[in-house]
Amino acid sequence: MEEKKVNSFLDRLKQKAQSQTNYGGEMEINDAKMNVRDCPNCGAGRAKQDGVTHCAYCGFEFITLKLTDGVYIKKEDNSI
Amino acid sequence: MFGLFNKSKDSEKNQANKETLPEWYAELEETQTRWFSFAEKLEAKMEELVTASVPELKQVLQEDEDMYKRTFQRVYSGVNGQLNNIRDKARDTYEEKIDSIYYDLDSQISVLDKNHDLLSEFRRACSDRYNHFDDKFDYWRKELEKTQERDLEIEYQKILDEYEAIKNKFSCTQCGGNIEIEKIFLIETFISCPYCKTQNTFAPSTQARNLQNIARGLAEQRTAHLYEAFETEDKKERELYHLRHELSLSKIHESDKKVLSEIQAKMDDLEEQRQFAIKNAPKLYQIYLRAMYDEWNKITPDLKEHNEKMYQNQITQ
Repeated sequence: MEEKKVNSFLDRLKQKAQSQTNYGGEMEINDAKMNVRDCPNCGAGRAKQDGVTHCAYCGFEFITLKLTDGVYIKKEDNSI
Repeated sequence: MFGLFNKSKDSEKNQANKETLPEWYAELEETQTRWFSFAEKLEAKMEELVTASVPELKQVLQEDEDMYKRTFQRVYSGVNGQLNNIRDKARDTYEEKIDSIYYDLDSQISVLDKNHDLLSEFRRACSDRYNHFDDKFDYWRKELEKTQERDLEIEYQKILDEYEAIKNKFSCTQCGGNIEIEKIFLIETFISCPYCKTQNTFAPSTQARNLQNIARGLAEQRTAHLYEAFETEDKKERELYHLRHELSLSKIHESDKKVLSEIQAKMDDLEEQRQFAIKNAPKLYQIYLRAMYDEWNKITPDLKEHNEKMYQNQITQ
């Protein structure tokens, strides 16, 4: 009798846990991808030596902040 | 003289005791018996709940496809909540039935009263039973906690396999030149094309990003033997203290000088071992910590600088 109670409690618990939706919605699982962003103003690409914050040709501002040293981005990535 | 004739006297004494037992004693006895059987029932319930839940939880964890194992966590919290309810029930009942009757009688009976010992004895027995219940609760809670453990090596291997599969797969979006992904990136990053120097934005997969979440757990898993060595050494201090304490008690009724000096020598030896354990345990912890951080840095070298700051904070605490 007691064992039945525990099992039915566990079954109900499992059912509820499975049907419950996660806070913030479903998780997105993405594969690795590569992309490039050209200047929306003049269409020029961004090259390593020109930095990533401004377009080397027309001066379009990609990033308003001044970059500091991080894990991957370094302050050398600022456009002069 | 040899206690041969004491038997009848003892039984007479017992008889007299029974007669002089106060009227509230019957209530105490009944409460104690009921408390003991109640605690036993709760223990049986705990055992039943956990033994039934452990295999179920393991299965849920295995089948849970969510990256953060949230379905498992929900079931786990449910079972844990039930277990806590049982403990709450025990605590409430103890306060309601045992404590209240004790304080009630304690306020009426003077400590000088010859029957006050009965009351103290009642409280001691009930509280010992409660502690015993608590120990059992701890045991079952730990059994439940063990179901959370999962082999992170498998997850790490999946990330490594994925990296091997994609590292030469990408080419420059601008000129089509091959771009090699040189390591496992944890967040979006710019990778410049070796041919046209265009800055490509590389976005790692969800699985690869998760590496930073499992890295510490994996490092701890790999250095668990060192942590265990520290824990054993840390516990030794108390064990040696108790051994020494027992020896010191055995000295009280000993008058033979030879035996006494033997005991003293043993005690000194235990004390020496104890002092060594006190000094050695923190050293073992340092060894574990350094090894764990080294392992962690090996798994996510990009976070080394950040991790080292954390390590420095931890050792200066």
